[in-house]
Amino acid sequence: MSLPTATNYFRITLLRSAIGLPKRTSGVLAALGLHKRLRTVYHPVSQTVAGQVFAVKELVDVQEVVQALSAREMRQLRQPESGFYVERRAGVRAGEGEGEEVEV
Amino acid sequence: MLSRTLKRALLDSRLPLPPTFLLPWAAGLTTVSHTPEAGNVPPPLIDSAQHVSTDRQAMKSASKQPKSASPAHTAPATAPKLPAPSSTGTSPIALSQSVRDLLPLLQAQGSHYITAHIFDRPYLLTQGDTVRLPFFMKDVAPGDILRLNKASNIGSRDYTLKASAAAPKLKSSTTTTVEVLDPTSGSLASHSRVMPTPSPDSETPSSTAARTMAPHFIPHIAKGKVSYLDDRLFVCRAVVMGVEAEPMRVKEKTKRRQRKVKSVKSKHRYTILKVKEVRIRGVEEIEGGDELD
Repeated sequence: MSLPTATNYFRITLLRSAIGLPKRTSGVLAALGLHKRLRTVYHPVSQTVAGQVFAVKELVDVQEVVQALSAREMRQLRQPESGFYVERRAGVRAGEGEGEEVEV
Repeated sequence: MLSRTLKRALLDSRLPLPPTFLLPWAAGLTTVSHTPEAGNVPPPLIDSAQHVSTDRQAMKSASKQPKSASPAHTAPATAPKLPAPSSTGTSPIALSQSVRDLLPLLQAQGSHYITAHIFDRPYLLTQGDTVRLPFFMKDVAPGDILRLNKASNIGSRDYTLKASAAAPKLKSSTTTTVEVLDPTSGSLASHSRVMPTPSPDSETPSSTAARTMAPHFIPHIAKGKVSYLDDRLFVCRAVVMGVEAEPMRVKEKTKRRQRKVKSVKSKHRYTILKVKEVRIRGVEEIEGGDELD
């Protein structure tokens, strides 16, 4: 497998459940860290991980990416934009606290 | 709240910026139309794609024939790629000719409605409406004036201003990868194919960052993505009226043949807003760039 100088990662998402499949398959998913459907994990590209992915290739969607996101970062990206901002606070006269722009 | 600043710090600190395909749920919004890659559109998105295409055709035909006899005449707004909040500097707005022609007509009509999005949920509002949000809005007090800056539609009786971009067909490119290695001529050595990262935009990678590729295909999150108008086109203000609470409800939790019954009390609160102003800016006001009101 040709790797550039930077570490690449597999971005693995579980799309199909392993219910009803042999325990070996769900063991592989547990080893990858995929315990629920539609969860995404990042693993550095290696032969081990590639073999694990190959074992569950029918259940999983894989991409090779440059950057790995943590669960916290993925959650931040999922948050929707608020769609509003506070223009003026109650009790503050217009023109006084105009610079205060709080994005909720 | 910290979410926006944290997101900015997070995404700014990494270079190159995280590929926008990693913002799938948020990156479905763009004013640039993308040609989808070959392959089938996943079933849950087929309806949305068809709906989008008919809208696009309607808008295209409407823009070609401005004197349409149909009562619901759409005037799409070709806004720049990022309808960013007014705090970030963006390129000057570029209005299409049809918008220039029809915006005064839309303005001249008496009453207007707006589909404002708060946390991506649409609310159909007009001036004087009282909105009971289905959540408790934190960090606001009664009397605070909110400026709603995410809208997908503004209209009056006969005219509608929509955002021109359509939600692209969301499909992971990995599902269409067909690589046939010819054993006679091609090399059989394995090679890795890294997802190409689209060029990052100069602006903050917000939900409206332009993309050149479909994001990673995740159907349950990819549904329902809309495109927003540029927020310099309109003014929408609402006042926080107060907070309402539902009656106390008690959920009893127990199991069969188990005497212990646990009671859980719930009394949710909901923020009430009153829409004070729904106004569409004039062409001169938009192009003048003054954001005094």
